[in-house]
Amino acid sequence: MTTSVTIDSVTKRFGDSTAVDNVSFDIAQGEFFTLLGSSGCGKTTLLRMVAGFLRQTSGHICFGGKIIDDVPPHQRNTGMVFQNYAIFPHLTVFDNIAYGLRARRRSKAEIDREVKHMLELVQLGHLAHRRPRELSGGQQQRVVLARAMVIKPDVLLMDEPLSNLDTEMRIHLRSEIRSLQRQVGITTIYVTHDQEEALLMSDRIAVMSRGRVEQLDVPHKIYAEPQTLFVARFIGENNLLSGTVIGREADGSSVIELPGGHRIRGAGGFDEAGSPCQISIRPQDIDLAHSGDAPQNTIGGTVTDIQFLGGTVKLLVEIGAEQPLQVSLQGRRGMEMPTPGSRLKLDIPLKAVRTFKAEASA
Amino acid sequence: MSVLTSTPDPRSRTSALLGRLFDFWPLVTFGALVVITLLLLLPVYNIIGLSFSGKEAGNSVFQNYVMFFSEPYYYRSLINSFIVSISATILALLVGIPAAYFVSRYNIWARSLIKTIVVLTFVSPPFIGSYSWVILLGRSGVLTRFFADFGISLPSIYGAPGIIFVFTLQYFPFVFLLVSSGLKSIDQSVEDAARNLGSGEFATFVKVIAPLLLPSITTAALLVFVAAFTDLGTPLILGEKFRVLPLLIYGEFVNDFGGEPVLASTLSVLLLAVTTGALLLQRWLSARFSYATSAIRPLTIQEPPPAKRIAAAAYVYLLMAIAILPLINIVISSFLKSKGPVLTAEFSLENYRRISGTIAGPLWNTILFTSTATLACAVVGTLVAYIIVRRPGRIGAFLDTVVMFSYAVPGIVLGVGLVVTYHHPPFALTGTAMILIMAYFIRRLPFSVRSSVSSLQQLSRDTEEASVNLGAGPAATFAKVTVPLLSMAILSGVLLTWSNTIRELSATLILQSGSTATVSIEIFNEVVNGNFGVASALGSVLILLTFLPLILLFTFMGKNEEALV
Repeated sequence: MTTSVTIDSVTKRFGDSTAVDNVSFDIAQGEFFTLLGSSGCGKTTLLRMVAGFLRQTSGHICFGGKIIDDVPPHQRNTGMVFQNYAIFPHLTVFDNIAYGLRARRRSKAEIDREVKHMLELVQLGHLAHRRPRELSGGQQQRVVLARAMVIKPDVLLMDEPLSNLDTEMRIHLRSEIRSLQRQVGITTIYVTHDQEEALLMSDRIAVMSRGRVEQLDVPHKIYAEPQTLFVARFIGENNLLSGTVIGREADGSSVIELPGGHRIRGAGGFDEAGSPCQISIRPQDIDLAHSGDAPQNTIGGTVTDIQFLGGTVKLLVEIGAEQPLQVSLQGRRGMEMPTPGSRLKLDIPLKAVRTFKAEASA
Repeated sequence: MSVLTSTPDPRSRTSALLGRLFDFWPLVTFGALVVITLLLLLPVYNIIGLSFSGKEAGNSVFQNYVMFFSEPYYYRSLINSFIVSISATILALLVGIPAAYFVSRYNIWARSLIKTIVVLTFVSPPFIGSYSWVILLGRSGVLTRFFADFGISLPSIYGAPGIIFVFTLQYFPFVFLLVSSGLKSIDQSVEDAARNLGSGEFATFVKVIAPLLLPSITTAALLVFVAAFTDLGTPLILGEKFRVLPLLIYGEFVNDFGGEPVLASTLSVLLLAVTTGALLLQRWLSARFSYATSAIRPLTIQEPPPAKRIAAAAYVYLLMAIAILPLINIVISSFLKSKGPVLTAEFSLENYRRISGTIAGPLWNTILFTSTATLACAVVGTLVAYIIVRRPGRIGAFLDTVVMFSYAVPGIVLGVGLVVTYHHPPFALTGTAMILIMAYFIRRLPFSVRSSVSSLQQLSRDTEEASVNLGAGPAATFAKVTVPLLSMAILSGVLLTWSNTIRELSATLILQSGSTATVSIEIFNEVVNGNFGVASALGSVLILLTFLPLILLFTFMGKNEEALV
């Protein structure tokens, strides 16, 4: 029976270095939960602790509210999918998938039925008696997925399962995995460094950096409302500008002065007057200012570069700050195309401006 | 954070820990420690203990060593051992390095035949080579008499020069094989760069290639040295009045047997000290000189000018002819009629008829002991390798060190150690088949462990973890995933172990009793009794038994001759 997972103040140290630093969160039953971060952020370490291959230095891991710290990995009933497939090269596709059921000493008839059902689900019925080396990477990964799911694990664990595949197969498989997971309703922890994958597949995402969870939220909030500078920098494209908080408006927004003298109003966390801050603005949130609007933030600048990419037009606009502002416009029929050197006014919605405390070292 | 319904119960935690002690791997680790302690550490400990014991009270614990270093009869043997071993090492390097270079670099003819001869020389039992040279160059040897007819007297095969000669021929394959594989790991661009910067071929070899080969050369040198230093059969056959340390151990042991083999233990400890020192030196040197190069494009075969090509070929062919001569001699003389030590030129199957009645026992012993020990090596070696690679920690490191150390324990020392340890009831094992199997097993265990360790290191851990994750326990995972994935490596290890164990002589000489005699022992006895014809027939059988597994290894398992070292 699939279950909820609780990570309670889990820390893992290897000698002097801390791989996972006091991490806590709950994963609901049936949830597709993603640990997102670059290599070395602790996401795989955390996953391996859930699988039981590593023992946390402190803290507890619970399945369905029960502490499982002392349960050895082969009794945890998790199904793991590995980055490099970890397919059993000496067994056929059928025997690979049947492996976990045989370890659980299920009857032959049941094994036969379950494996066949799973083979249908991953569309590999015709390859049941092939050896892994005759299979493509994508097929191997489907075998491994079937092998992990057929045991009806409490939790499905996936460690960068798509990163060894080519782009086309990756795009195809990620929707397949997602729909399979929904069909079976299995609690899933998915580890990836690929933000697109994470945003597309997950119910919730925990963005990790240096062993800590930077932000835990649903994908669109992670994207639209980064809570930390790291998340703003890590997810999607962002203009990151340093400035100084100079005050607060009545509506709760803060006013930030940029190095070029521009003042901009922004939403979000940090508003300590007089202190240096960082702001992030997504290029596609910026629009050309049209007369007649009631602009919230208007900044004038000079276009220095234009990249026409068909659907979008990317501009670099010099506004006198540390670096030019990247602007991404929808390419519309009959739009007025700016030229390099031309001056224009940009409109930046208040909500698109996120403010963060400036990094000490930056 | 969340609702934590349970906190860890200290009692269940203790019982979980206790339960884990009886898990598969802790049990296996414990078993491996017991086996290694009983078969290796305890025997070595006992001979060291004996060497410091005195028969009379009041004497210094060093009395045996004092005696050794004050009596010329004893300390001369140590000096002699160093003389023959160092000479053989230097000669093997001088002979083997050019041969390896020529065969690896020049397009001389019949290169695969040359490699076959090197392998044949390498795996043929050393003592068979020795007595074959006696047939050829002994006092009434075939070649001795042939040249005497022309008034030429050949140098004697007996004594130090003969031993050095035979050791050089027997052990230069170490140099040849290691240097050949060393050459393969050097990239062609390195040589090209040196040539481009103005070095000639010889200067390039001396200044660039040879330094890169240093790890291979030092390893080969130490292997030759240790093999020569610990060999018993050759000096036993060729030594006459020239005594080396292993010979003395054997002599003392045979005399002392029944009493306390104190002196044999003392001599064994000295032998062990030298081989351990050599092993440590080798590890230090290869760590120091390793450049961790890997060749993207290995050194290519050159086409030298005809004169150079012919000269190189002539050198290699001459060396190979001399190296293979004793083996050919054995096979031919096994088919000749003999009158005692003198072989006639008459073809006959008489020798084989004579052995057919007596060979069954020793042959059965040989195959039984070898197969049992090989099997035990494969099982224990794989388990120990798994502990070392997959369960690193203090015990794993300890096992690794002990296994490395057991490389240094010569067969004869192990033989003495096992006898002094298992001579008294209730563990009176001397003279039994068991003690021989134990000796063979522990002697080859490090090789099995080493080969499994290197295959395990190449095996991704994920596959085993996938199995554990799917619910198979540690033992089931090992049996169903690790072993099948290692099966080819284990099988080739088995073939190598078999081939190496079947020709063992040093430990067998110490540990056998009449009823547990092996084919090697029979050959040795026939040689001592001067029945060269019979010895040759037995020798041919033994050579065949040694080669069969290697033929399987090379033809069906895609290994090459470098798997031997």
